[in-house]
Amino acid sequence: MAVAVDAPPRNPEAEPRAPSATEGSGRRTRLIGLGLLGLLALLPIPFGDFGFFAGQYALVYAMLGLSVTVVTGYAGLISLMPYSFAGIGAMITGLAMASWGWPFWLAILLGALATIPFSVLVGVASIRLKGLYLAIATLTMANALGETFFQWGDVTGGNTGWLISRPRVGPIDFASDRMFYGLCLAVVLLLLWMVEGLRTSRTGRAMLAVRDNELEAQALGINVYKTKLVALVIGGMIAAIGGGFLAALLLNPTPSAFRPPFAEVTSILLITLVSIGGIDRALGAFFGAIALVIQQQVFQGAEFFFAFFGIYTGFTVILFLMFRPGGLIQIGKLQLALIRERPVLGIAVTVAIVGLNVGIAWLVLSLS
Amino acid sequence: MTSSAPVIEVTVFGLSAGAVFGLLALGLVLIYRTTGVLNFAHWAIGLLSMVGYALLAKTGMPPALAAVLSLGVAVFFGALAYRLVFRRLNRANQLIVILVSIGLATLLSSLAQMILGFEAFTAIPPWLPVDDLRIGRVNVRSTEIFTAVTAIVVAFGFLVWFRASRTGRALRAVAQNREAAALAGIDEVRHSTIAWGIGSALAGLALLMVLPHSGGEQGAVITTFDLTPFGTLLIPAFGAALVGGLVNLPMALAGGFMFGLARELLVLAPKPWSDMRASIAAVLIVVLLLLRTERFFATRQELEALEL
Repeated sequence: MAVAVDAPPRNPEAEPRAPSATEGSGRRTRLIGLGLLGLLALLPIPFGDFGFFAGQYALVYAMLGLSVTVVTGYAGLISLMPYSFAGIGAMITGLAMASWGWPFWLAILLGALATIPFSVLVGVASIRLKGLYLAIATLTMANALGETFFQWGDVTGGNTGWLISRPRVGPIDFASDRMFYGLCLAVVLLLLWMVEGLRTSRTGRAMLAVRDNELEAQALGINVYKTKLVALVIGGMIAAIGGGFLAALLLNPTPSAFRPPFAEVTSILLITLVSIGGIDRALGAFFGAIALVIQQQVFQGAEFFFAFFGIYTGFTVILFLMFRPGGLIQIGKLQLALIRERPVLGIAVTVAIVGLNVGIAWLVLSLS
Repeated sequence: MTSSAPVIEVTVFGLSAGAVFGLLALGLVLIYRTTGVLNFAHWAIGLLSMVGYALLAKTGMPPALAAVLSLGVAVFFGALAYRLVFRRLNRANQLIVILVSIGLATLLSSLAQMILGFEAFTAIPPWLPVDDLRIGRVNVRSTEIFTAVTAIVVAFGFLVWFRASRTGRALRAVAQNREAAALAGIDEVRHSTIAWGIGSALAGLALLMVLPHSGGEQGAVITTFDLTPFGTLLIPAFGAALVGGLVNLPMALAGGFMFGLARELLVLAPKPWSDMRASIAAVLIVVLLLLRTERFFATRQELEALEL
């Protein structure tokens, strides 16, 4: 019966994890990643006002995506309600600012704290429910919250929502799109640093262990329930912070965006963007959000905008999950490794990949 | 003498809604049992049947014929989804399987939007006879009765076929023990494809029952809301499937009726309770999840096969 005792064979291809081929040169890869991050942060400049307008959305999506990174990427919990948590953050921020006159930073903190009871509720469910059952439970909960919490006029300001203004720190006013972009960038960098740091911390490694094999993690002395709960609470708070910034970005957050079917559709969009970027690395949410907003802007002009956009992202996410579950980050690392080993071929392939995508974008833009 | 008329009307309505949930749940359970994929794209595949129907009906074909033919669209896309995508996934890694099925839902529902021309409103003709029936004091729409009866006939036909036919037995064998089934000469890939095809056809039929008949005699007007029916269709269907622990087909059908009747009968309840209509499915699902219904219906071997 030795076979039964052995751990089940794992298929490394199917795990959402980048291969370790480039682990040895971690520092240089990280530097390249940071350089790319800086380059992408400057991307709006050539596009002027429009660039900063779109850039704010990308950064807010990146914040929301980071909550998926922690909950689904690190802890392996399939939550289909990240956008509902963002909605709680957005509405509470709006309530505190518009009707109690709180400053933005306190309001957003309250929004983050307000998600904790909901995270604990999902956490209690996650002890008993594995994988797909949790997916059903969270989908149901997103729907139920849309019918109850987001219908509650006292908290959501009714159908017209709340009117709020963007924050101001001392003499600096973040009201313009450019300034707000800068503020969001700072917050995203801070969150990226924290979420990437979480990954290598004791708690984060416990999450990865729970994701990979719950029984093994338990045998290692990890408190599985506590680990899941911590992941959900952190994820919920990050989503709520993103929601608060979304509220400030929109200036008039309304609850209808968090009612079905928009709540579910946007949650799915967030999961999709993180899967495309790379689900178990913090930078994945950042790259995924930028890729998503670029796609949105490219398809914007096309006649059947949303349909094209959905087909393209749906197709990409299926291909990525099947062949490159580590997302854009894994592709980037593989390209780097290829360039290191065979520079000519590697650079040619990279240019071809980038060229193909630019070509598709150009084609769509010229057709519309 | 306020009589039982509203009760009967509401019951008929609940039965027709329940029949639709039941059909969706049967497809979900069939696919999950045989291939271990909880298909979040189930409604999106069914939606393509509805789109096929809308296109065929526009050509002037008799609507009923168009409806039957368009079931083939769902069969095709269901089988294709299995062959191209889900067959190649490691089903032990539920994270990837679920994320992929969600991606497929995005892809297919957007495809449906594009084919419909991404209009805010699309008119769809009905294919079941539309009449307002009046029996005594009771007013019901004929489409409700037709929906309930058709769904019940199809569902029972399917269950009998699944029990008695050779293919049905092979499907059960694949669900219970893939290795043993393979040793007995049962082609797993072929039978999984059949399961996906039939399951998707059931989803197609369910959506063809609901969407074209949500309006009156002129047919229905479909908005983009109807193209993402999470709360109205998918969640009750998941709930119905949970009644049978995601593995038991007859219980899933019964669960469909349970969810349909619970939602509609609440209309009759006194005021604070009747407001629960929208969230009754959520309440029932929480109860079902906590009961862990799969314990009652799946054999140990099946649970192991599904890695529960």
